[in-house]
Amino acid sequence: MTSLLIGLFLATLIVALFTMRLYRLILWYSLNSLTLALLAITIGINIDDNAMIISGFLTLVLKAFLIPYILKRVSIRFDLSRQIEPNIPVHYSVILVPALLVFTFYLSEPITNMISSNTNDVAISISALFLSLLLMMEHRNIAPKIIGFLTIENSLFLLGTTATNVMPMLIELGIFFDLLMAIVIVNLLFGHDDEEVAE
Amino acid sequence: MIYLLLLPAFIMLVLSFWNLEKSKFVLPATSLLILYPSIKLFFLPKPYKIWGEYLVADDLSAYIMLVSSIVAISVTLAVSTLGLHVKISNNAYVKFYRFFALFWIGLTLSIVANNMGIYWIGLETATLSTVYMIKTNSTVMARKEAWNYMIVGAIAISLILFGIILIYASAKPILGERAIDFSALLLNAKQIKSPFLFEIGFAITTLGMFIKMGFFPMNLWLANIERASFYPVAALFSGILESAVMIGFFKFSRIASVVNSAHVFIFVFIYTILTIFIVSFLIYRAKDFMRLFSLSGVEHMALIALFWASGGVFAALLHFGAHAFLKPALFLSTGILESRGKYRIAGALRGYSGIKGKAFYFLTGIFLLAIVSAPPSPMFFSELYGFASMVELAKTNKHLLLMISAIILLLILLSIIFYKFIEIYQSMKYEGIEKKKVVYGNEVLALIIFAVSLIALLTPWSFEFLRGIS
Repeated sequence: MTSLLIGLFLATLIVALFTMRLYRLILWYSLNSLTLALLAITIGINIDDNAMIISGFLTLVLKAFLIPYILKRVSIRFDLSRQIEPNIPVHYSVILVPALLVFTFYLSEPITNMISSNTNDVAISISALFLSLLLMMEHRNIAPKIIGFLTIENSLFLLGTTATNVMPMLIELGIFFDLLMAIVIVNLLFGHDDEEVAE
Repeated sequence: MIYLLLLPAFIMLVLSFWNLEKSKFVLPATSLLILYPSIKLFFLPKPYKIWGEYLVADDLSAYIMLVSSIVAISVTLAVSTLGLHVKISNNAYVKFYRFFALFWIGLTLSIVANNMGIYWIGLETATLSTVYMIKTNSTVMARKEAWNYMIVGAIAISLILFGIILIYASAKPILGERAIDFSALLLNAKQIKSPFLFEIGFAITTLGMFIKMGFFPMNLWLANIERASFYPVAALFSGILESAVMIGFFKFSRIASVVNSAHVFIFVFIYTILTIFIVSFLIYRAKDFMRLFSLSGVEHMALIALFWASGGVFAALLHFGAHAFLKPALFLSTGILESRGKYRIAGALRGYSGIKGKAFYFLTGIFLLAIVSAPPSPMFFSELYGFASMVELAKTNKHLLLMISAIILLLILLSIIFYKFIEIYQSMKYEGIEKKKVVYGNEVLALIIFAVSLIALLTPWSFEFLRGIS
């Protein structure tokens, strides 16, 4: 079950890289967060860790539903462009993404050799991190860059879960708080632009 | 203690929701409240547990807390007349303070954190709140740079978290959940079973911190942001935010040195020399004050990291304190010199009359000379001690010739910077036409606070205290 969810996590991220419509990208981010939440809940149940289960539910509520909802509201309110063509053409990305995956697996080998359990999961987390960075860099529009930032957070959460068998609860809560604050800031930045235009 | 440390920021946060004309005078006064807990923390026996094992103050964090508090007080003092130099609405004023309060909360947590996670959370909070502080300047350039900061800051901060996760994973088998504590890691660094994983984590974390400080290859992004935002934001960046990043570097590298000191030194040595090499030429080509001081800040941060990694703790901390006072002072002076956006380097220091004007003229000139290490600036001494520590280190590992070559290269690069600053100083003082300019009492007072703090750094008592930090 864990392997299936990690696979789905990676798959949703890869599809997000090829997406050229904003709402579809938000949907893929939401599904990416959903698989992450289910993964955290499953691992939490398997190792009987209540903190992990709580983190999973928080991920479900905040990242899978609340943040995508806010992002969609922001994009409607400020009339953001829904066409988000990436700088790297899709036919190049088709080659680039698998190459990046193989490269990161190779690159992360010395790290995974040091970790006794979940080695493949750790390698996938590191690959996901690189793919999220690619998502952030390949777009010129600001909205996909924000989603790139949010998927980086998801990849780091996955890495924290797989490499360390759960980060301390306090840290997880802090990261959630910062994520919410980031969304508030994004909203304010767009909002302020709107006020200035009105003036 | 934690309540006392966070109280001024919380008061500021609450007051910022009242959009009153008077609030812009009450807000700077609030910042004075930080002085009491900072001084108290400075004199308490160390290590002092502020909040269990999560927030613990040692001599290093108490020193950085005190330095940051002085900078914060001086900057807020100067901010009250910001509207007389730049176009800013009352609403933007209070919003600036709202995010400054959040920034302050984040930085306080980062500075006194004994927990890598809390350190990261504090830094992330400060980074995000700065985004909106940049945006208080309502120009297209500031809007663009606020987004740029959000993106680059997010990448840097993500790298730091990535590294922290790897460090935690490397130490968890021996320390359990305590692997997240700086103090526990420092005590047990030798026992880490996978030092390679730890070192990879350290390298990635350091890379994130170096990006945040504008090191190679991200040399220009910080200069662009500081140019686009209002001058107090640039002062806060250089005086407090960079200090919080630097304390993280100090803490992480202290642990990494126990694991393998040679690796830490080589990594930092190559990175900082490369940074100073590029920055010195960028400084030579700089055509405005803000970029000049911003790039010079990158150079000083690289020197601090280099001295620290060479074992010159005293030199690094002295340089750190001097930079934390001098750079915000220069950014505030720049804001006054560039009043209403009209500035030229030629004759910039001319036209100031009266006691306040003369004091401003004198202090700005002194700060300009002090930042390029003209004696008796604390930077002059810190560089002497820093280079001496590099030579001492080379003696122990038989690479003396290589180290002396590196020092000579550094001195050549520093002389390029020195030449540029002296050229600008002379142009500001002797060239151009003389026009009547205004400076306000609170701004001169802020500069006097910085000057007094710099003198205090040079006292034997300060030297003794800094030498006691290991």
